[in-house]
Amino acid sequence: MTTIEAGTELPPLTVTIRREDLVRYAGASGDFNPIHWNDRMAIALGLPGVIAHGMLTMASAARVVTDWLQNPADLVEYGVRFTKPVVVPDDDKGATVTFSAKVDKVVDGSAEIDITAIFGDEKVLGRARAVVRVS
Amino acid sequence: MTIDATMVGRSYTAAESYQVGREKIREFADAIGDPNPAYRGDDAVAPPTFAFVLSAPALDLLLADPELGLRLDRIVHGAQKFNYVRPIRVGDEVAATATITTVRKAGDVEVIMYETVLTSGDGEQLATSTATVSHNRADS
Repeated sequence: MTTIEAGTELPPLTVTIRREDLVRYAGASGDFNPIHWNDRMAIALGLPGVIAHGMLTMASAARVVTDWLQNPADLVEYGVRFTKPVVVPDDDKGATVTFSAKVDKVVDGSAEIDITAIFGDEKVLGRARAVVRVS
Repeated sequence: MTIDATMVGRSYTAAESYQVGREKIREFADAIGDPNPAYRGDDAVAPPTFAFVLSAPALDLLLADPELGLRLDRIVHGAQKFNYVRPIRVGDEVAATATITTVRKAGDVEVIMYETVLTSGDGEQLATSTATVSHNRADS
């Protein structure tokens, strides 16, 4: 791995989420909340439509860090706020989310990394931050 | 019933531990579109956010508590944080205990924070998951 210092940018990642991905994630995770697969129920609860599981968006955001680390064991802390929903249309195009990340600081063998997730023109994660062990 | 600050401190421990299997980890990694080889094979570790799946059995008990009166279809996940001690591995028997840590109310919306501690069969702490969820009690 190259030198890690404040300002180091991690390779970005673009992910497309389609309805079938939500179904697959629901099955794999056991989270069958209908807002992730049923337009009628999502709209009844005041959402614009079916939205992606926040945990799926969070999992994709983590990939920016774990792809770069290579060893997922070096991730020691990871947190996000779900600030905007990722609305997934019922079409073949889906919703495209772009993730980027930058090292904020390196202290005592740990790097603190800020992650940005953009869907359309908006950030869908707030305070997305990972702490990783660095040698 | 409803949920309020008097319920802070209530704990829910999943009746059975979760046995982490190789194929389940692979299925989860496929579902998040992650081809990382660390998540494949007999020595696989689970992707970091798999810790939330392991906290689900304890969350189910919290949701089933009749005194709280919560409904999954009225819940939206607001924030999530994990602290990892070590990755979850194939063969781990994971016990989960969820504890309500904060309850705030704003009209029909209840904002609930709960912390789930994941431990292995021999009592080793593996990870802590801290979730904030909004529960909307308004009739729709």
